Amino acid sequence: MIRKKAIEICIGEIGNSPIVAANGFISRDLFNVKDKKTNFYMIGSMGLASSIGLGIALKKPRKKIFIFDGDGNILMNLGSLATIGKISPNNLIHLVFDNSIHESTGGQPTGSDVISIEKIARACNYKHVFKVSTKNGIVKILDKIKKYSGLTLILIKIEKGNSIGNRISKTPKNIKDGFIKNL
Amino acid sequence: MFDFLFRKGIENFVGVPDSTLKQFISHGLKSKKIIITTREEEAIGISAGMILAKSPTLVFMQNAGFANSLSTITSLIQLYKFPLIFLIGWRGFKKNDAPEHKKIGQIQPKLLKDIGLQTRIINKNNWKKFSSWAINKMKNGDSCALVIPREFID
Repeated sequence: MIRKKAIEICIGEIGNSPIVAANGFISRDLFNVKDKKTNFYMIGSMGLASSIGLGIALKKPRKKIFIFDGDGNILMNLGSLATIGKISPNNLIHLVFDNSIHESTGGQPTGSDVISIEKIARACNYKHVFKVSTKNGIVKILDKIKKYSGLTLILIKIEKGNSIGNRISKTPKNIKDGFIKNL
Repeated sequence: MFDFLFRKGIENFVGVPDSTLKQFISHGLKSKKIIITTREEEAIGISAGMILAKSPTLVFMQNAGFANSLSTITSLIQLYKFPLIFLIGWRGFKKNDAPEHKKIGQIQPKLLKDIGLQTRIINKNNWKKFSSWAINKMKNGDSCALVIPREFID
């Protein structure tokens, strides 16, 4: 399963919940699959999608906040998992699309095929941690967690290689202002 | 200063500890309004999220951490125009400060100027005036920095 397909399946399950998307192809794929005002496309500041998601989740405790992260992004800011786990907001759902490469920069290895992101998440106090690699797996877990409360990480193993999606055509200020107005 | 900023509407204080700011941070920790992060970029990211949820926020850090964060400040805070207040402890302000602070301490004013972050240097006489200045900047949608020089060596 390629990333864009995985994102399509996720969007089908999570509907209109706010999403913070990591920079690079993850943001681009989300933009091309389903753009909406409550998508925050982080076009720079690699590694910080999870931190931004934490900030929103803490201030909007009644809303489920989704992070669309990548393996390269998460490894760049592992400290974020410690901070998120320390606070452990009940309404934060951290999806990691893991292809073990930095695809946006040309496919260099991240090392996530050797280390275990799900074990790191558990050690960092995430309450629910899942690993999936199929369409049925994603649908089943996203359906299951609708009834759950508690900090959640879902590691979604995806395939390398993909067509490059169009760049995000909104300006950063429009992305931000639209998100604030519609959150 | 913490209470003043809180009363003026700052709801969250997020950052990495710094000895110059220790009284400010200790005071904030007592009132549970402070989040300590592992790195400064992380604090800036969390603050951006809080501002997306319409909750006014300040980040605090040492100038070493400010130097760590230059790319995050330009590609997140300035690019998206997040109204965020930076409170920065200035190590290397005094010439006889510890050696690891010398270089960054020296170029600190230039770094702020080069990235175009409007700054006021505060002390015990002007902090109230410049805190109000920062609040006004924030309310107008701008980011800015308050810098506290470390006047003592321990």
